[in-house]
Amino acid sequence: MKYALAVHGAPYSSNAAEHALSFIEALQACGHDIERVFFFHEGVYQGLNGQVTPQSLHDNALQARWAAVAAQGIELAVCIASGIKRGVVDSAEQERYDLPAATLHTDFTLVGLGQLIAAIDNADRYVEFPA
Amino acid sequence: MKNYLFIISRAPYASSHAFEQLEAAMVAAVFDASVTVLLRDEGVWALQPRQEGSATQQNTFAKALAALPAYEVEQLYVCRASLNKHSVSADPSLGFEPMSLAAQQRLIDSSDVVIGGQS
Repeated sequence: MKYALAVHGAPYSSNAAEHALSFIEALQACGHDIERVFFFHEGVYQGLNGQVTPQSLHDNALQARWAAVAAQGIELAVCIASGIKRGVVDSAEQERYDLPAATLHTDFTLVGLGQLIAAIDNADRYVEFPA
Repeated sequence: MKNYLFIISRAPYASSHAFEQLEAAMVAAVFDASVTVLLRDEGVWALQPRQEGSATQQNTFAKALAALPAYEVEQLYVCRASLNKHSVSADPSLGFEPMSLAAQQRLIDSSDVVIGGQS
């Protein structure tokens, strides 16, 4: 079965990412496919570059776990509307708004909300992980 | 296209959550999806008459709701029990029809996709 997922919580303040990542691992163990992971609301902070995981949480370095998901060719899509107002921008948006830095991690892409709807429409199931 | 139910259950001015949910509903409608919006829990405050978002430097949420029919989002419902719980008298001009819990159960069951169901 094909799944579209959405993550609504920020890293280390909500457990949305932990739940989503474990769910992704379980889906893959069962042979399911993932259409796209969409980051919405405060979930856009999952794509913020330069996160330093506290040593006590070393086994749960979220950015490394997301990198492993991206390495499998699964798209990590950050909502552009939710992202840019929170300072999560790629180099194109950095240039457009004349900002000091691009802050989006290279494993993630900045996309429109339409990509959430398109992913859901192409998938058999939609599961969201609230903050 | 699938039919989408967007549930808004957070208060309109406490966070950006409700507003961003509404944006997603409008985008789904632009994609020609059949879109239904259900307000429940603290989301019913969105129907409070005489809102003035500018008082807290925000957009007036009711104005965004009033734009939904322009996006052909015309199936608009509000949880009757939540209205009663928060003593909100819904602004009738916004066109949200009060709905019982049993009817909400049927609505969720008949929707292909529920967005915001858990938050």
